[in-house]
Amino acid sequence: MTRHGRKPEETTLSVWQVIELARHQDRPYSLDYIRRLAPDFIELHGDRLSGDDPALVGGIGTWHGRTTVFLGHQKGRSLKERVARNWGMMHPEGYRKAIRLAHHAAKFRFPIVSLIDTPGAYPGAGAEERGIAAAIAAAIMEWFRIPVPIVAAVIGEGGSGGALGMGVADRVIMLENSIYSVASPEAAASIVWRDNARKVEAAEQLQLTSRDLLAMGVVEEVVTEPKGSAHVDHDAVATALDEALHRHMQSLLTQPTEDLLQHRYERFRYIDSLVHAEPQFGPKV
Amino acid sequence: MSALAKTAVELRIAGSKLPAIPLPTNCPGCGVALEIEALRKHNYVCDCGHHFRLGADAWIALIADRGSWQERWGDIRSHDLLNWKVPKPYQEVVEQLLEDGLNEAVRTGTCTLAGRPIWLAAFDFRFVGGTLSIVAGERLARGMEQASSSGIPYVLVSASGGARMQEGVLALMQLAKVNAALGRMHAAGVPYFSVLTDPTFGGTAASLALLGDINIAEPGAAIGFTGPRVIKQATYADLPPGFQSAEFQLAHGQVDLVLPRTELRRLLAHLLEMYP
Repeated sequence: MTRHGRKPEETTLSVWQVIELARHQDRPYSLDYIRRLAPDFIELHGDRLSGDDPALVGGIGTWHGRTTVFLGHQKGRSLKERVARNWGMMHPEGYRKAIRLAHHAAKFRFPIVSLIDTPGAYPGAGAEERGIAAAIAAAIMEWFRIPVPIVAAVIGEGGSGGALGMGVADRVIMLENSIYSVASPEAAASIVWRDNARKVEAAEQLQLTSRDLLAMGVVEEVVTEPKGSAHVDHDAVATALDEALHRHMQSLLTQPTEDLLQHRYERFRYIDSLVHAEPQFGPKV
Repeated sequence: MSALAKTAVELRIAGSKLPAIPLPTNCPGCGVALEIEALRKHNYVCDCGHHFRLGADAWIALIADRGSWQERWGDIRSHDLLNWKVPKPYQEVVEQLLEDGLNEAVRTGTCTLAGRPIWLAAFDFRFVGGTLSIVAGERLARGMEQASSSGIPYVLVSASGGARMQEGVLALMQLAKVNAALGRMHAAGVPYFSVLTDPTFGGTAASLALLGDINIAEPGAAIGFTGPRVIKQATYADLPPGFQSAEFQLAHGQVDLVLPRTELRRLLAHLLEMYP
């Protein structure tokens, strides 16, 4: 599970405490990682159709000697910045920008690193009017055709289709105190109980912590965070994430494209094969 | 639809009589008392244009030529992977629905339509809100894979609240699983006709439902990603009347046609002739 000595804290944290860490306002966001991984990062903007979505940053940087396309949900720290970044919730333009940059990567054979940190796609009228469902659907389908290696990491919140729209990759890893869920606990409570105040109960049912996801086979690795969680030491967690991302990427770079795409297909096609292998599983890592 | 009425396709073989469905005494669209038998013959579309929701059994009867339906993978079952207990144990919910004669949120199989073979998949909103589950995703993906190798056109009828909460992140992963298979079907040049009915939301809209070669929506059907209740809760926005209706999605470029259910069989038969 970890190559960094310390075992993930034998969890004394409640599920809700993990969620609070995943949403901590001092937790490193995508740009905090990207600027450490690739100090020469150049941000590229726009979907070439109608707009640029500030909730998703994308661009190119030199990473371990290779030009790499970075994509990441971006949240803000100050209120002003949070509003500008729309709390990391993408509009349709964001998914179209991501696919535009994925095609850019494919043209130049650049690998892709995708960092996931979103409560979900934006639940607003404008997103609906401009086709958020179809934008996510088309992105999910298109990722399976992008002929370059893709490694994704959930660095904070992996919320619903908004996260999966950026999460179709050859390897998906997670930071220890991040979450990945079919819906945010608030949304799940609202759907199941019609009462989003029951978010804590919902969170406990959803099995959304990194251990749960590793046990389910949805992610390949959990990257250990520094003692006290990622927000206490941005450099240390960036180093750990860099090492894990690079290790996964290395093994992908040598694969022939045909194998790469076939494996990506199979990764998601048989992701729930545990249904036959293990009908019951709970937290047991 | 007069042009279609003149098509060479004569619907030699009709679909089956639709099953009885629970109905209110009066139409919610126009308030007029319903005549059950007349309504049933009219595919459960009121004279005022109100379309009553159909289950998968009714959709199969409506679309498949009589006696042609062959269900596939009807025996795969959901399991309570997350040990989901509140507000109701998931395993009990599923078992009760099975006892009621429903078989998951998606049924799939092969049939003919006006004599031409198709793959048909129909969502059933009565089964946990037609939610995309592991079993639903598996049935959809397997059918698409088979359609990709045989070249037989694929017809989908959706009615779904999205991904199934009680199966957690593995339900979310069905979006990727199904869209992976869908991508292969597109690459293989297989025609894919998607019929969107009331309601189609969330993960179902954000995966296969809106990616048809032709998207056909039923009049008045609510179609979108986030439901209106959640949008209002999250943004305090006032949503205009008709927001997320089929007509709204037509105006916003998401569907090709808004078509009454009574015309659907004829249109599909015609399309199958045009996309041989």
